[in-house]
Amino acid sequence: MANRITIDPITRIEGHLRIDVEVENNAVSNAWASCTMWRGIEKILRGRDPRDAWLFTQRFCGVCTTVHAMASVRSVEDALQLEVPPNAQYIRNLILIAHALHDHIVHFYQLSALDWVDILQIPKADPAATTKLAESLSPWTRNSRNEFKAAQDRVNAVAASGQLGIFMNGYWGHPAMRLSPEVNLLAFTHYMQALEYQRKALQVVGILGSKTPHIQNLTVGGVANAIDLDSASALNMERLEMIRVLLDEVVQFINQVYIVDVCAVAAMYPEWFKIGRGVTNYMAVPDLPLDSTGKTYDLPGGYIMNGNIGGVHPFKTASDKEFRDAVSEDVAHAYYQGGKPLHPWSGETEPDFTGWEAEKKYSWVKAPRFNGAPMQVGPLAQVLIGYAQGHPLTVKHANLALGKIEAVGGIKVSPDMLHSTLGRHAARAIRASMLAELAQKHLQLLTDNIAKGDLTVHNQPVFPSHEIEGVGTHEAPRGTLSHWVVVKDAKIKNYQAVVPSTWNASPRDASGAHGPYEASLLHTPLARPEEPLEVLRTVHSFDPCMACACHTFYPSGRQIAKVKVL
Amino acid sequence: MRNILIGGIGGVLLGDDGVGPYVARLLASRYEFEQGVEVADLGTPALEIIDELSGREAVILIDSVDTDAAPGTVLLYRKPDIMRHRPEVRMDPHSPALVDALLSAELFGVAPPEVLLVGISAEFFEPSCNLSELVKASLDQVILEVLRELDRLGVVYRLKEYPDKLDIWWATEEVEAPLTT
Repeated sequence: MANRITIDPITRIEGHLRIDVEVENNAVSNAWASCTMWRGIEKILRGRDPRDAWLFTQRFCGVCTTVHAMASVRSVEDALQLEVPPNAQYIRNLILIAHALHDHIVHFYQLSALDWVDILQIPKADPAATTKLAESLSPWTRNSRNEFKAAQDRVNAVAASGQLGIFMNGYWGHPAMRLSPEVNLLAFTHYMQALEYQRKALQVVGILGSKTPHIQNLTVGGVANAIDLDSASALNMERLEMIRVLLDEVVQFINQVYIVDVCAVAAMYPEWFKIGRGVTNYMAVPDLPLDSTGKTYDLPGGYIMNGNIGGVHPFKTASDKEFRDAVSEDVAHAYYQGGKPLHPWSGETEPDFTGWEAEKKYSWVKAPRFNGAPMQVGPLAQVLIGYAQGHPLTVKHANLALGKIEAVGGIKVSPDMLHSTLGRHAARAIRASMLAELAQKHLQLLTDNIAKGDLTVHNQPVFPSHEIEGVGTHEAPRGTLSHWVVVKDAKIKNYQAVVPSTWNASPRDASGAHGPYEASLLHTPLARPEEPLEVLRTVHSFDPCMACACHTFYPSGRQIAKVKVL
Repeated sequence: MRNILIGGIGGVLLGDDGVGPYVARLLASRYEFEQGVEVADLGTPALEIIDELSGREAVILIDSVDTDAAPGTVLLYRKPDIMRHRPEVRMDPHSPALVDALLSAELFGVAPPEVLLVGISAEFFEPSCNLSELVKASLDQVILEVLRELDRLGVVYRLKEYPDKLDIWWATEEVEAPLTT
């Protein structure tokens, strides 16, 4: 008889992702991913001016503000077939890259590293031995005995106080934790340093977007940045230089710390290259356009079915016809009214809440499908699709990372092993190092284009009275994001956002096919089912973000998350 | 120079959850503050809010709260009230994280010594760009509590002679600023 475990943040509106697993013989035998929060925010956009939509979509989520703003303006531009001047493309690309670098750093260190790093081992570490180990891995100048000792002292002080504070809820001492005290201290020290470097990346977003967390510089048809190399208030030489300095520091952190740590952790947990495989259909859209009409891109897109890397199909553009035609959303197991799957342009968002029922409806997330199939999106999809097409930048950074894992751990990592929990972490680090290289490239493109005398940043949108449709995509940190807009008489008639975590967290569809989170959990071994650390590791490897659009503080002291073993 | 944040937190597309950003904009349109006081509409940050909190001498946050108190009730929470909560076991690591952010800032030694959360008990959190009548009726008191805290901290501020236009761009109703004291 299987035991069912529910992991459910039980807050009324704040709790987002609930995972249920059935456990037999200490392994997961069945899984359900559900979102516990009603969205339907898209309805707010109906009747609004399409030029303002990005301001609203930017408020969908407090973490992914920028990406929703960008997908929104792109959707309206697609509907209008409006060109975007090169300066605007480069500025947008820089914002997207800087945001993604910030996001990936925060994800690995602040949000998932402690699934692998055991804080309670840190007091046993020898800072001198940690320094020696660190120096063998990376030239990072802040791998010093002083930095390691200071980090260890912080943990010792917390442990001595008896108040574990931020570490109160970790699965410390869990048998699945296996790093040496020194590797734990190394990773924790970088966890502290990571906060500084993610902030530098956000500062770049702030300089170009004029504000964070909500950028102000977008407009349908371009950007609103004034460019004038001689003006103090415009985007000038001084600001471009500030961006360059900040990016150089972030790039160094990515290359000398983040990717090294991911490879080191991967080398210590090689069995996790065999766990968490799940859905091996992958999708990514091309991004970082290099011209005003979106004919060429720095990042490739396409799709792979059933793990057949050799059979990759490319997408030529960010709103490729094949992509536009193939997306539908199924609500068989989601709390919405409706029968057959609908294309997003004709999508409906009418709630039909029934309560959680394993065989019926159990999630607020719709099940997006591509030609009827569930797809995994995110860095692993991005990297595999690029690698399969021989995209030089992807191949270069993937081979560097896989070589590093082999050098540290003595294990040969084949591309097939990337269909796994660790594969997703490794791919995110690979993507980050690609983006780091592209950050500097796009800053140079922008600087060179301005130096040529091109100061254009915007084309004026003109709306016809007849109905038009558009899709705006962005290959965001968590994967393919698409905004679908229908406009009539210069007003929004319909709007749907199909977000990356919807693809990955999708429930079963009418055919019973699992979504990616669900499928990835099957067969996962659990050392202690009452402490399902292994479930967290795999779910976190996707970096879930379930529309953190509502943000209420819960003062009553109620327990705000629980692990319930039935 | 002072280093103080007055931050409105909340989702402006979800009814009363938008009260934090609303109040931040109201304060910025009506008042001038001494240098080093930042008034910000923070939206719905997750752990990212740590960047806003770090290194400040004092932080005043305005947010909706989910309590049994009547909608529109204004409740005050100090740092220990917030920090006694446990951090969450996070399936979704991007869920809101004020408690986690404060605990992390404490670990790194950069937490603000003074934190006041001015909470407004909400009536509804459904997709909507407007506040409920009960929450709107509480705005005067919310502002009063913020100003009282500024007085306690010895912060200099004054009403603007010519207030800026109140920019609640998301609202579909006419926005009428309450008379502030």
